Amino acid sequence: MVKLVLASPIAVATKGDREIDLDFEGTLAQLFDAVAQRYGKQFRDRIYDGNGSLKRFVNVYVNGEDARYLQGLETRVARDATVDLLPAIAGG
Amino acid sequence: MGYVRGLRCRECGAEYPPVWLSVCDACFGPLEVTYEIAAVREAFNRKALDGRSKDLWRYRELLPIFDDGSRVDLQPGYTPLRKADNLAKALDLKDVWVKDDTVNPTYSFKDRPVAVAVAKAREWNLSAVGCVSTGNLAAATAAAAAKAHLPCYVFVPAHLESTKLLLPRVYGATVVPVDGTYDDANRVALLAADKRGWGFVNINLRPYYAEGSKTLLFETWEQLGFELPDVTIVPMGSGLLLTSIDKAIRELRELGEVKDASTRIVGSQPEGCSPIVQGFSSKDGRPRPVKKPNTIAESLAIGDPASGYDAIQIMKRTRGFADAPTDAEILEGQKLLARTEGVFAEPAGGTTVATLKRARQDGRIDRDERVVLLITGNGLKAPGVWNGSFPPLTPVAPDPAAVDRFLGGASIG
Repeated sequence: MVKLVLASPIAVATKGDREIDLDFEGTLAQLFDAVAQRYGKQFRDRIYDGNGSLKRFVNVYVNGEDARYLQGLETRVARDATVDLLPAIAGG
Repeated sequence: MGYVRGLRCRECGAEYPPVWLSVCDACFGPLEVTYEIAAVREAFNRKALDGRSKDLWRYRELLPIFDDGSRVDLQPGYTPLRKADNLAKALDLKDVWVKDDTVNPTYSFKDRPVAVAVAKAREWNLSAVGCVSTGNLAAATAAAAAKAHLPCYVFVPAHLESTKLLLPRVYGATVVPVDGTYDDANRVALLAADKRGWGFVNINLRPYYAEGSKTLLFETWEQLGFELPDVTIVPMGSGLLLTSIDKAIRELRELGEVKDASTRIVGSQPEGCSPIVQGFSSKDGRPRPVKKPNTIAESLAIGDPASGYDAIQIMKRTRGFADAPTDAEILEGQKLLARTEGVFAEPAGGTTVATLKRARQDGRIDRDERVVLLITGNGLKAPGVWNGSFPPLTPVAPDPAAVDRFLGGASIG
């Protein structure tokens, strides 16, 4: 199972669910499509901007690796992966 | 609610009441506190400041605390602004000042934002506080938590300087040494705080936390006789200190306390971790994240800086610039500051000195400009950077002849 972990500001779009298990294998973009199927369009609106890119202040990690250092939304998500979806807050 | 109006998103402009909210609910952009400026103007003026306590609470109308009883009284702030004539002469400048935050309660400027964030945690009755830190913030949070009788959890990269790992433990905090970079520690700290409802000062208390850093600029303004410098050089990790300095100037301007004056805001990062500096010169003005920082300036080693984009916009708007000296230049900067002004800064301070030197040499800073350097942390916290810099000391026998031999002769006068 893929484990999707969402920080609470993003989990507003998943009815407050902050850990979601999905029987899934594919790309990050496809994973988010699957989540949107379960929770509705509001999930897409929450994480994507008007151009279909991730919002600038949303960070995605696949097994702890920042997706920007991988293949972005085309990053492969294995069946047992953990994906974190967090607002970008770092340092200070 | 005192003088606070609310929270506003720096990205999309959405407004919120001043509640416990870490990011914009619409776009996840950074939030900043806004004030009822007309009301502040009534109470915050030069005459009123006279006679107030010599700590950061002297600027209380522009700090977002509602309940004075929630303050943790470690008395950070009101640190010396030192006229650095020797340093100025060494670099062929006329008017240089050093804002010396090495002398705060836990020896860095982080005591300022932490004072505000922990006060908010107490106002909201949070059960614990914490932070993710490159070292300085860990000590500051742990000390304030100790005084506030709050449990404290600090997430740090496990490879930090030993002094920076030691201090929070002495203050009684639980140190979580994450086997990875600062950004790895940040990711797991964010999830831990989110899950447990703890107040992490630079994560979910961040909009309030940022306000404390403004006091560096308020003090500088006051200590310069209610004037702003022409240039201020700010060390950058996440870029949040730089955005806070800019916010303080904007607020003084809104209050009518500074009229025509403008300050060029310059940001400095070590070459080995310079995502904001790289972004400054890029076409899109976006920071260029650094996966594996490699620098002696550990306190600035944040590869994915949350306030980087804002910092870049501010440096451009104020006609400042971004600069990234090498580690060797940073070490030389630390030495130069110590040997000209008697101030022992950690590498972040050496970074600003090095930028001043480089910018004077290539003309980005003019000889006649009044410059304030922000020296944000104490050199005693990072002794390891000096390994190999000085030859080992060989003991001298306790007799006068041996001392003469050591000193190279017996001449007097």
